[in-house]
Amino acid sequence: MASNHGNTNSEPATNEQIITEFFAKSLHIILESRCPYVSSRNYSGEQVLSSPSSSSSSSSIFWPRDKWFNLALKDCSAALENIDFWRQSYLEPMVVDVVLVQRSSNWDPLNCSPKRALVRNLSSKETYYWNSENDEYRNEVMSEKIIERWVVEYESKKCSNIGGGGGGSGSKRWSSTSSHTLYKKSTLLLRSLYVTVRLLPAYKLFRDLISSAQIGMYNLGHRVSSFVEPFTHTEEAEMQRFVFTPVDTACGRLCLSVLYRSSISDVSSEPSTPMSPQFIPDYVGSPMADPLKTFPSGPLPQGSPSFSHLGRRHSWSYDLYKASPPSGIPSPSPSYSESHATFAKPHSYRLPPTGVTRHLPDETPQEHVKNTNYDEYSPSPNFSMSPSPSPPTYTPGIHISNALKRSESAPVSIPAIRASGIPPLFYNQMLPPSPPLRPSKSSLAKMDCRSTLLQAGSTVDKIFPFGKDEAGRLTGVKISSNSSPQKSISRSSSRLSFPDDYDESEFSGPFVVDEDDMTDPGSRPGSFDPVGNPCGQNDHLGVSAVKKSQDAAVGALVCMLKKAPPLQQDLQNSANLLHGSRPEILKATTIDPNQISGQPVMQQSAAISSAASLLAPKTTADALEELRGYAVMKNSLLKQGGDHKHT
Amino acid sequence: MNCEVCQLKELVSLGPPEPRQEVEHFEVREVLRCILHTILFHRALGLVRPKDVDLELFDITYVQCGDVEHEKKIDEKIDHFIDRVEKHPNKKNQICLSFYEVKNKQATWFTNKVERHYWEQWYINLNTVQHPKTHSGKSHHSKVVVDPGETASEERNARRTALESSLREVLFQIIKFVNEKKDHVPPIPNLDGVSFPYEITISSSSDSAFGMDMLKRMLQTGHPTMLS
Repeated sequence: MASNHGNTNSEPATNEQIITEFFAKSLHIILESRCPYVSSRNYSGEQVLSSPSSSSSSSSIFWPRDKWFNLALKDCSAALENIDFWRQSYLEPMVVDVVLVQRSSNWDPLNCSPKRALVRNLSSKETYYWNSENDEYRNEVMSEKIIERWVVEYESKKCSNIGGGGGGSGSKRWSSTSSHTLYKKSTLLLRSLYVTVRLLPAYKLFRDLISSAQIGMYNLGHRVSSFVEPFTHTEEAEMQRFVFTPVDTACGRLCLSVLYRSSISDVSSEPSTPMSPQFIPDYVGSPMADPLKTFPSGPLPQGSPSFSHLGRRHSWSYDLYKASPPSGIPSPSPSYSESHATFAKPHSYRLPPTGVTRHLPDETPQEHVKNTNYDEYSPSPNFSMSPSPSPPTYTPGIHISNALKRSESAPVSIPAIRASGIPPLFYNQMLPPSPPLRPSKSSLAKMDCRSTLLQAGSTVDKIFPFGKDEAGRLTGVKISSNSSPQKSISRSSSRLSFPDDYDESEFSGPFVVDEDDMTDPGSRPGSFDPVGNPCGQNDHLGVSAVKKSQDAAVGALVCMLKKAPPLQQDLQNSANLLHGSRPEILKATTIDPNQISGQPVMQQSAAISSAASLLAPKTTADALEELRGYAVMKNSLLKQGGDHKHT
Repeated sequence: MNCEVCQLKELVSLGPPEPRQEVEHFEVREVLRCILHTILFHRALGLVRPKDVDLELFDITYVQCGDVEHEKKIDEKIDHFIDRVEKHPNKKNQICLSFYEVKNKQATWFTNKVERHYWEQWYINLNTVQHPKTHSGKSHHSKVVVDPGETASEERNARRTALESSLREVLFQIIKFVNEKKDHVPPIPNLDGVSFPYEITISSSSDSAFGMDMLKRMLQTGHPTMLS
């Protein structure tokens, strides 16, 4: 009986553990098929033991977290980063929003000002950021649309007195059956979830995204929170609901549902190739290319050139909303922000302490009911489906989602307005997608600049200035949309081979002087960058690694020599004298070459010639010529001496 | 324990214009693989590493449990099904995927068979319609000049689109059934992969045993719950 009593007491803890792991597993399943961002370990520099789940399917090694619900999944750090809060308390619902972000770029330098740099306009979702390379600001408009909202929650209810005191064998059997049954049903539910996420329309977008077919066109982000602003009736009417049959437990039930858009704007039908395979002649590149070139003030025509700038220059693996709640507002999960702040660290699944009986509230928290309309979500006992659950029809239509209310604790953001020119958007630990395979000279410089910036890595994504919105509400939601790092890594390696493929005639990095620039020494990189852009410095570091062509090197040397100050003032004067007297010498020699001008003239000419020789760069040919000259003079002197003797 | 039965929505597949055209049978293979593996994945409650498979003919990704042995077994059954389809064209064919438990082995005088208790049965109804033969002779409708090739192609595309839509409905039907009916599933054994034994049988409407087979199972397992 004692053992029975002990087992009975451990049942609630076991159930809690199952529920906690259910939250984690469901989040893992959802984000694994919606978050292109695979892992942060490639960019933080820290090595995290990769789960064999991410390797080939033939691997027979399973990690402990794989064995929960007998479902071994691929690594998904996004899930690991976001689950800590619900490990502490599964009583809060877990809402996962999958956001489709589409962006377009409009050049509007006239309306941009430094003050608005790096300031996010939340109402219009426009962001201005400093473009370090062309000294102009860019206005970028993003459209966001929540295409899926997954809700995982545990609805608690009054627990019957299970095994309390003299339970007996009957209650013991019921309790043990309860845990086994709960685990079995949870396993079945997660199997269904795994299949369902791959049948919904958003999965196609995810697949297109990770296949690198939609560079710069759109991105998928996600928000994981416990409280979100409910959809309006209009928005909800556009979405379909899919409710999984809840799993009953002794003290509540596990509920899982999804609101999804069956008609997503067919972004995948747009050209999947990179924006512009052709060479862009007026690509925004090094100022050395054409410092006097002006750019159109109006919006560029839709199409490849401008967007390709965006796609190449800026990382589109971004965290849209990364902020932390203000200090005045308690975070529901301090550990959440902490874990995210150090999200490079490996996260192990912490098991709830066994034997600890948590106090389950008798009633559902009113706040929970008030802030969410999950009563609508609470599934009926009968499994219900929307009238037409299946057809993943894609129809055009973009709906910008509403702003979010207070959400869970989000990673701490540093409201930095950096003059360095790092765009606040789209930076994460992720490397950006690769630039086009046909590099232009300035693109290479930009790539190096970007890579150097991204190596600052873990703090970059925190730079995103997303704090309170205008209404003073907290938007402490983390949304991250990232590209696949594997794709970026492979491209970064290919990037290193660019210099070998370069045509010398095309290359003109910021530290390589073209012949045209030699005539305009004022247009030096130093004068171009008044802000002291560290990106320029990084260009220097980056380009220095680039192999220069011989012609470019010679050109640079010549330019340096031209600009070099004179060695001595005397030499300078001698040079001036030389310039002035040379025609006279030539004149003298031509008029009377046989005349002996006399030693003073010879001395003068020798002095002048020596000064000239000091000034002019000497080569072997010059030396030979000088020698010949001396030989001629010697011969002439000797001849003259001989003539005098004879006379 | 009752046996839960699920009759899946009928699917109409376009058969090959000529027998033994493997290319045209590919559509049937795709459909059956998708359905069978989806069901099996839901019943493979042992430790699995799921494998996502993209259909080539349809924009659908289904999930396999990652067991090569079971994949081969399913492919063999699909081959048998295609042979039957060729033998009995223009007929409704059915594949039955049954999960059972092995009851106490009782070797008796009359039989040495192991008693099986079927706790779940899935009926996949696939109607293979014969491909309309291409018109090679004179057209009866001389006034209308129609390219039979283009018409057949358009018709095929339309049928394939309809088949994809139906396939999605079937998959959601499976998900719905799995979610609604959980109590009849036996406890998860301590096995990896497919944890419950199963069998796949093929029948067609022309068979005299088609109905008898179902009736036999009904009698054997008690009162089945029919779902449509």
